[in-house]
Amino acid sequence: MSDLDRQIEQLKRCEPLKESEVKALCLKAMEILVEESNVQRVDTPVTICGDIHGQFYDMKELFRVGGDCPKTNYLFLGDFVDRGFYSVETFLLLLALKVRYPDRITLIRGNHESRQITQVYGFYDECLRKYGSVNVWRYCTDIFDYLSLSALIENKIFSVHGGLSPAITTLDEIRTIDRKQEVPHDGGMCDLLWSDPEDIVDGWGLSPRGAGFLFGGSVVTSFNHSNNIDYICRAHQLVMEGYKWMFNNQIVTVWSAPNYCYRCGNVAAILELDENLNKEFRVFEAAPQEARGAPAKKPPPDYFL
Amino acid sequence: MGAQEKSPAANNSMQRVKVYRLNDDGKWDDQGTGHVTVDYIERSEELGLFVIDEEDNETLLLHRISSDDIYRKQEDTIISWRDPEYATELALSFQETTGCSYIWDNICNVQRTMQFNTVSNERFHNVNSELRELPPVELSTLPSVLKIVVESGIADQMRVSDLIAQDLEFIGKLMDLFRICEDLENIDGLHMVFKIVRGIILMNNPQIFDKIFGNEYMMDIIGCLEYDPDVPHVHHRNFLKEHVVFKEAIPIKDPEVLSKIHQTYRVGYLKDVILPRVLDEATVASLNGIIHQNNSSVVSSLKEDSTFIQELFARLKSSSTSAESKKNLVLFLHELCTLSKNLPMVQQLRLYRDLVNEGILEILADILQNEDKKLVLTGTDILILFLNQDPNLLRSYVTRQEGIPLFGLLVKGMLKDFGDDMHCQFLEILRNLLDSYTSGSQRESIVDIFYEKHLGELIDVITSSCPHNGTAQTVCKSGKSDGETGNGVKPEILLNICDLLCFCVLHHPYRIKCNFLLNNVIDKVLFLTHRREKYLVVAAVRFIRTLISRHDEHLVTHIVKNDLLKPIVDAFVSNGSRYNLLNSAILELFEYIRKENLKILLKYLVDSFWEQLVQFDNLPSIRSLKVKYEQGLESVGLRSNANVLDPRKRIDDRALEKEEEDYFNDDSDEEDSASASMPCSTRAQSQHNLPNGSASTYPSIRSGGLVDYDDDEDDEDYKPPSRKQSDNSCEDDEEVVESFRLKRRFASKEEPEPKKLQRLPNSSKPNEGVFAALCSTLSQAALPGKKTSSTAPDVPQPDPNKNPIEANHEEKAYMNSSDQGKTLDAENHAGKEEISPRCFTDGLHGSPDNGQQHADDNPLIPKASPEMAVNGS
Repeated sequence: MSDLDRQIEQLKRCEPLKESEVKALCLKAMEILVEESNVQRVDTPVTICGDIHGQFYDMKELFRVGGDCPKTNYLFLGDFVDRGFYSVETFLLLLALKVRYPDRITLIRGNHESRQITQVYGFYDECLRKYGSVNVWRYCTDIFDYLSLSALIENKIFSVHGGLSPAITTLDEIRTIDRKQEVPHDGGMCDLLWSDPEDIVDGWGLSPRGAGFLFGGSVVTSFNHSNNIDYICRAHQLVMEGYKWMFNNQIVTVWSAPNYCYRCGNVAAILELDENLNKEFRVFEAAPQEARGAPAKKPPPDYFL
Repeated sequence: MGAQEKSPAANNSMQRVKVYRLNDDGKWDDQGTGHVTVDYIERSEELGLFVIDEEDNETLLLHRISSDDIYRKQEDTIISWRDPEYATELALSFQETTGCSYIWDNICNVQRTMQFNTVSNERFHNVNSELRELPPVELSTLPSVLKIVVESGIADQMRVSDLIAQDLEFIGKLMDLFRICEDLENIDGLHMVFKIVRGIILMNNPQIFDKIFGNEYMMDIIGCLEYDPDVPHVHHRNFLKEHVVFKEAIPIKDPEVLSKIHQTYRVGYLKDVILPRVLDEATVASLNGIIHQNNSSVVSSLKEDSTFIQELFARLKSSSTSAESKKNLVLFLHELCTLSKNLPMVQQLRLYRDLVNEGILEILADILQNEDKKLVLTGTDILILFLNQDPNLLRSYVTRQEGIPLFGLLVKGMLKDFGDDMHCQFLEILRNLLDSYTSGSQRESIVDIFYEKHLGELIDVITSSCPHNGTAQTVCKSGKSDGETGNGVKPEILLNICDLLCFCVLHHPYRIKCNFLLNNVIDKVLFLTHRREKYLVVAAVRFIRTLISRHDEHLVTHIVKNDLLKPIVDAFVSNGSRYNLLNSAILELFEYIRKENLKILLKYLVDSFWEQLVQFDNLPSIRSLKVKYEQGLESVGLRSNANVLDPRKRIDDRALEKEEEDYFNDDSDEEDSASASMPCSTRAQSQHNLPNGSASTYPSIRSGGLVDYDDDEDDEDYKPPSRKQSDNSCEDDEEVVESFRLKRRFASKEEPEPKKLQRLPNSSKPNEGVFAALCSTLSQAALPGKKTSSTAPDVPQPDPNKNPIEANHEEKAYMNSSDQGKTLDAENHAGKEEISPRCFTDGLHGSPDNGQQHADDNPLIPKASPEMAVNGS
């Protein structure tokens, strides 16, 4: 069993890696991710997953429902970290799978894959608590910069974490983004990760999130038409039923964190696409309490003060 | 439950009511007078209104409280509802308004509990009864203790927790009982004890915490918490006793301090390991408060203990201290510094200053040379704490004679191979020392030292670990998979160097000019494009992109003159049609040049590399590069045609074409000789041969570029590059500039007309005639320093010390949005009972800038987050 396989096994038990292992993993991941495109091509069959937010045991539930990687080909739409208790284990497991099976799992960037956001919503503190220093956070956030921005499934389904941008009308325009940077405060890259579709908006509207835009049905129609796309698949917003179509099936939100924040009471979903792009949503609930092992917030075993 | 537990208090006037019932004739029938209570309906978990007749103690009324909104309160003394069981209207008429509102509140509470607590077993319990004393703690009474602790309603809970807090024996007896149950392996009992203890902790009562977290009971309490019926047994006590080690670098004598230290660890363990899922936010906050308080008092008593501190430093400095002991001392120091965050700000500052006076920085310098890499890294962590606390302590130290070695060690540390260990701290410390958020002589001298002593070191690492020409990629391939190269420099070290250099470009816009140009630094950094690791190639692209974003004439000229885009284009070409990060980064660079209308670069790029780039002209970005270039050409052509009917027949037109050709295709050597042969301008400037004679023109940013037909008048406006920087390359630049100006002057003789056109943008006069369209394109070019995109750095400002750089501008945005973020986030917490999807949809109340707010709270993050600046550019 290779080191990597062993590490994957360890992470599947929700045991974080050592700092040195994280470092090696990140460097390997960097080499792989740097070769990916801003619009990463993905083949079918594929299973699309939305936000995870550090809910490790719920992600295991996801794999139970959707099948293990590499047997199932996965596309994760970002927001792996923050909020949940296990951002470190969640992201590292996904990253290890990426390094082990680069062609069977695609990770794209969410708005939480950012230095600024993770300092507020938990990943930073979790790294500090679990490793006693923020080095792991630094390495992981450096990797975030390399994550692709979107994916295109069989040229027909455009997948992105947030949504569209007024600065981007064609997929070609995404190509000229130098994504290796902190998520900017505005511009195309920011919008892809931050925007939301909104029924009551016609065209473009200001987003209450303070970044990205709200966009209406007409925007989606014209984007899908000019890029010859069937529909857009995105995440980024909690939907109580796990998925939600909008604008006449032109855009779908997929949400994969059941009982979000351990208290929202929602179910989660993943979207399975077969070779012919037939869709099947699989809805699942939070992992049962018994499936959750002892919480892994072990403090350092020695102390002076 | 029910009647038997009713307290005597039920017989007061407050609860005295008359019961009325609406009869079929629409009249209210008096049913009798009694006392009302809210209580459990027998053999059920539901609550009801009971009215007991004051005369015969019979139940006058039993009404199951409904979660539906059927109740009405009238005139402050009447509660009425349509009763589903009696199928008619009922009313209670109270003797006293307080009694009415009391029962009304109870009904509302019950309704709320029904809505929110359908699953949990927190039920209202005998709301009315005044609990006077706790039941005895015995094995047989555990169920009723459990009921009182866990099932009491909100109103009673305060009372219960007060009773427990006041009862001197309750906890002790409970712990006795726990030990008995454990001895007897009475699992049911243990599960009940677990629930009781959990319930007691959730009461969040400071007095109870004092008691249960004290030395006497803490371990037993943790023992009780091992028996969560929903989770497999975890041996917490075992872990705490067998695996956790309390280390004493210097023996702490004060028993009070010692016990606080242990308590802190255990409370933290309880909070993070045992009950993280159970605790509500208020309780977590209380526990954090205890930890904080303890840390603060421990650190201050150690700090005040001068013999302790002296002994600590004496042993740290002593050569006879063993390596193991020294290591522990450093780790202790690290914890001490970390925990000092719990002190009030003034005391923190004082502690750090005291430590500096005791010589901690010398000790750290010594530690940085230790063979134990882990220890070195702990040393850097301590330095980061200092930087976050008061950067001036370290800054002023490294600028003093005795501190210079420490600075050197930090640079060396960044360049050192730490094997598997992460050592990004060094980069962070250096950035912090070199950033431009502070001003003053200290920072100036740090920057001086850095450029004087250390820039070369960094560059040498790059040159020694990268093949110097594009063909030598094999050098890197030999080391392959683990990214090793001939010299064994790890790629992540090169990445760090490149990041630091980008940081320097942003923070020292003036310093880099001379230093970078003087030593061909840019050239050397671009050796990175020959590395096998694509992320290093991308880093090199980012470096050049950062330079270009400075809109600095000198830098641009230097880039053109030294053909510095060649490695970039080569990398682009050899990357082929692959659509990866490298491809995107370079396309973005091209787009930037085009969109910013950096004519000099545009012209250089197309002139020099179009043959290579043409194969990619299926890409819109490449195509539009050429289009933009041709627009430039046309504009020149247009002007030439303006006054001439048939230009081709005219002799001087050929001169013009020649000129155009020269202008666009000045290909080095011949161009040099051409310009050299031209009449010298009156302004004497030394002429040098261009070293490699690449295409070069005077930067368009200020002059208007391709169509800038400067006449003498314009020349007066032109300020030559500062002679101050008259190293070779600078002079070369000037020579280039001069020759270009000559050309333009030459052209202007042929074409007086365009002059007017050219000035238009500068004078902002309306366009006229046939040139209108043309002018509109040109005007962009003539606006120097036009802000281009929010992420692009501003144009350099006159004084590097005061130059706020765009990072400051970002900071402002931070402030605004972080405030916003705060309030919204607060709402989020406050509104947690009524979670709307919106609340959590995510995130991002405010904007991505929230980080700043947090960064201020958390000293581990560099205040102004310089990496944002670098990464954001």
